[in-house]
Amino acid sequence: MSMQSAILPHAGARTLNADALHADARRETFGLLALLSPGLLLVFAVIIVPIGWLFWLSLFDETGSLSASNYARFFQQPSYIKTFLTTFKVAFAVTGACVVLGYPLAYMLSQLPRRAASICLILVILPFWTSVLVRTYAWLVILQRKGLINSWLIDLGVISQPLPLANNFAGVIIGMTHIMLPFLVLPLYASMKTIDIDCLRAGMNLGASPAATFRQIFFPLSLPGLASGVVIVFVLCLGFFVTPALMGGGKVIMWAMRIEQTTSLYSNWGAGAALGVVLLAVTLALLGLFQWLLGARATGVWSSR
Amino acid sequence: MTKLLCIKSLAVAGLLASVAVPASAADTITAASWGGTYQEAETKAFFDPTAKELGITIKQDTTNGLDDVRLQVTGNAVKWDITELGADECARGSKEGLFEKLDYSVIDKSGINPKLVHDDWVGISYTSVVLIYRTDVFGDKGPKTWADFWDVEKFPGRRALSGSQATETLSVAALAKGIPIDKVYPVDIDGALQSVDKVKGHIDAWWTSGAQAMQLVKDGEVDMASIWNGRAGTLRKEGAPVSFSFDQGVLTADCMVIPKGSKNKDLAMKALAKFVSPDLQANLPLYVDNGPANEKAFETGKIPPERIKDINSAPDNVKKQVLQDPEFWRDTLVEATEKFNNLIQQ
Amino acid sequence: MQRFSVRNCVTTNCRGSVQALPQLRPAMNDPESREMLLSIAPTALPIGISGIEKRFGGVSVLRDLSLDVAAGEFLTLLGPSGSGKTTLLMILAGFVRANAGSIKVGGEEIIAMPPHRRNIGMVFQNYALFPHMNVFHNIAFPLKQRRVSTAETAERVEKALDLVQLKGLGERRVDQLSGGQRQRVALARAIVFEPRIVLMDEPLSALDKSLREHMQIELRNLHRRLGMTTVYVTHDQREAITMSDRIAVMNAGCIEQIDRPEVLYAAPKTRFVAGFIGDSNFIPVESRNGSVWYEDRKIRMTSAVPAAGCHLMVVRPEKLRLVADAQPAGSVNVIPATVGDVIYQGDSFACYATLRDGRQVTLRDYCRSDVLARLPGPGEPVNLGIDAEDVVLVAAD
Ligand SMILES: Nc1ncnc2c1ncn2[C@@H]1O[C@H](COP(=O)(O)OP(=O)(O)OP(=O)(O)O)[C@@H](O)[C@H]1O
Ligand SMILES: [Mg+2]
Repeated sequence: MSMQSAILPHAGARTLNADALHADARRETFGLLALLSPGLLLVFAVIIVPIGWLFWLSLFDETGSLSASNYARFFQQPSYIKTFLTTFKVAFAVTGACVVLGYPLAYMLSQLPRRAASICLILVILPFWTSVLVRTYAWLVILQRKGLINSWLIDLGVISQPLPLANNFAGVIIGMTHIMLPFLVLPLYASMKTIDIDCLRAGMNLGASPAATFRQIFFPLSLPGLASGVVIVFVLCLGFFVTPALMGGGKVIMWAMRIEQTTSLYSNWGAGAALGVVLLAVTLALLGLFQWLLGARATGVWSSR
Repeated sequence: MTKLLCIKSLAVAGLLASVAVPASAADTITAASWGGTYQEAETKAFFDPTAKELGITIKQDTTNGLDDVRLQVTGNAVKWDITELGADECARGSKEGLFEKLDYSVIDKSGINPKLVHDDWVGISYTSVVLIYRTDVFGDKGPKTWADFWDVEKFPGRRALSGSQATETLSVAALAKGIPIDKVYPVDIDGALQSVDKVKGHIDAWWTSGAQAMQLVKDGEVDMASIWNGRAGTLRKEGAPVSFSFDQGVLTADCMVIPKGSKNKDLAMKALAKFVSPDLQANLPLYVDNGPANEKAFETGKIPPERIKDINSAPDNVKKQVLQDPEFWRDTLVEATEKFNNLIQQ
Repeated sequence: MQRFSVRNCVTTNCRGSVQALPQLRPAMNDPESREMLLSIAPTALPIGISGIEKRFGGVSVLRDLSLDVAAGEFLTLLGPSGSGKTTLLMILAGFVRANAGSIKVGGEEIIAMPPHRRNIGMVFQNYALFPHMNVFHNIAFPLKQRRVSTAETAERVEKALDLVQLKGLGERRVDQLSGGQRQRVALARAIVFEPRIVLMDEPLSALDKSLREHMQIELRNLHRRLGMTTVYVTHDQREAITMSDRIAVMNAGCIEQIDRPEVLYAAPKTRFVAGFIGDSNFIPVESRNGSVWYEDRKIRMTSAVPAAGCHLMVVRPEKLRLVADAQPAGSVNVIPATVGDVIYQGDSFACYATLRDGRQVTLRDYCRSDVLARLPGPGEPVNLGIDAEDVVLVAAD
């Protein structure tokens, strides 16, 4: 092949073996594609197809005819808007609480000696081994009016009336924060561990106080980990069901609870599917915004690694 | 049409599942109910005696309600020959044509409230929504009526109502307005919603499951609540400081149907006839607090007299309560639920 | 500021360079550097290190280490891996706390001062540039900490970039730079705030050979222009010799010898130093009756005869020469040997010979025609000549 092209009259130095190289490049592309295909097929089968189906279902009303009624409902029933706002309010609040609690925790873990850090890390992961339901009930026992915290505080004379900690917004936030915390701490810890200690030393060497070094160097370098943790927690929050159902006292209705309710109320998969599609679309839009706002800086740091 | 296709493919999964179980012989039927202690009671009260009498096998399954039936029927993959549903689900399913017609020459309907006897579904048992309060808070001077429950000045305290069962809460709200029990149905939905609106600021929890309602009362998280009588009875048996009565209770019925396309329709009919017969109906209250749908059960002499007064469907108790009208909710459920959700969500 | 730079030509191939050829040149005479000194003028300060002790766990890493660095001096810490060079630098910069000792900068004790107050610039082995900042902000960082005005910051960063020949790269992201450019950014960052002292920990070890040699010259020039006190760490002896005013050879937490490179090369005080810097032949000799003897031959030497006992004669390969006469004549010592192999190396050749006691020695000489004409073949007996003034004795261990 290469011999041929070398003999051909137009085959000058510039086109020497060009065809063979081009073919080789193409072969490589196909080869890689072939290697990827099981993964792509799987993604297609378990993600793309069901989502497409979900969307398709949402276009039919309970009589089985094509209609936009499942979507029109959002505008006719103000309760959907309320649920939507509640869902995002909870997601934001839980994410915020996770950041406030998780950042110092991850920082502490990253500064501990290796052995102590791995023990503490196990403690962080430990709750994963119990079911969400059990943990939520445990929180109920701790937080409710006659629960541990209120009894202690009243016995100690700190308060005279029990604090409203369960069966309300606060209860949902506390319960969900506990469940979500590891999802923030783990990626954050991983990214903090990769921060070069010499960078921090350089900061101090160049005259930055420990606080300034943290603010100007450590914190910005931990942002990619924080961003991925925040995204994970936020997205998981949007679809949460068990904890808000149990800890919210029926006053905090999340989107997932609404999907369940609506599907059975309207005797129609489409009604629930439409809710799913809307949540998916809004979440994607939000993540896009997030990427746009934070992405450039975050990827800048990533690519330098 | 495409929806049908989708459901068909879902049904393939169902078919595969049913293939796994060896195809039922001619003298085997499958009955589905809610599971748990209730289904255990039904097994002892209805299923086992019927199987013995008819010389058949009754296999059991559990259901999540109307959606399961719809999936089987529209997908032409009917696994069940008899299934239990809530009465309003029966009314809706009937409208959708999901059930076989019942043969009342086989099934004796006498003694069953005519509101629960229909072409294709029949009542099987009752649950009541009752008002429960904690005696450690109120002594025996707690709220006795829904009007009391609504009166936050006379009865200060923490309250819970059902947030998931709009039909029950709206019935209760109508009672709270002072409407006599025989005038509650048809419910004036807007009036009932206004009534809910008055109390909603004082509701500390809207429960979404029976277990949750029980836990709220048991742990003292609330001082008074609406609750299912079965759960209330359990609390009392456990020795919790609570009091409740059937005054102004809301009776909701469960019903049984034969899903359309059942392969053992005739046998199922015979079994169903047994289930609703006074003799077997009288067994049910021996095991659970759900009352029999057939009032003739109380004449069989099987139920001890001191037990009768605790049963929600005993004639004396029925008089004190409102019977939920399934056909009313069949037509108004969606609208009423949406409005109710909108109201209680803050 | 009265410093003179010493360019010397000490390499293992340079015969007869005991008196290195110093090109004495006052730094201030260079107009370019004078301008630089006006803009970035560190006040060079001397460092007095005394009695530093450092233990990690039970392991002693630095033992009673004392060292004085003159103001404006370029001092190199040279030593094998694990000898404690980085540790000493970290103690100087304040990142590692010593167990005992004193560090005085310009007479002021700083041993307990937090790192950010020490005003010591440091170039890290891996540069430790801030990946989330561009070149400009990296260099401006120390100025920002010192609340220098924006305008002045811009001006000084510009000058620093100019100094390290990176003009116009201020907006580049750090990961878009080559290794040598990164190294220069690290350098600019370490000097832009006019530190009293600059520390460098193997800054060139990650670079390839040609870039490393180029950067050695640049670093050296920069030091000549700015005149800041510099402590430089390397384990590359060639680098140390080319760049330093003085070299401190470290071994196992101690300083074995500290001297100007040419002295260190010509007159190592210990076997370790002799072996670490340049190639050496060690020939066992004995001091008795006020003379030094190799077997039955009396060694002629210009330095003082050491105390009685066994010693090692250190002979650099290029100081050995092939002589015709088997008898010592004048000030030349002669040692008989047998040639093992002769290896041609282009400009020079190496002759591996075996002494009578079986010890291997290496001789190196240029391929001059007169030498080549007399080149022996393998197995031939030869006579190795050593000038009396090249004889260096160290203690045998
Ligand atoms: N944090 C530490 N904990 C325990 N031992 C340490 C620590 N840091 C250094 N050491 C030990 O101290 C000794 C000196 O280390 P140092 O890093 O100063 O060596 P070095 O001369 O810089 O070596 P290299 O040329 O390889 O960089 C080594 O034996 C090392 O193992
Ligand atoms: Mg080192």
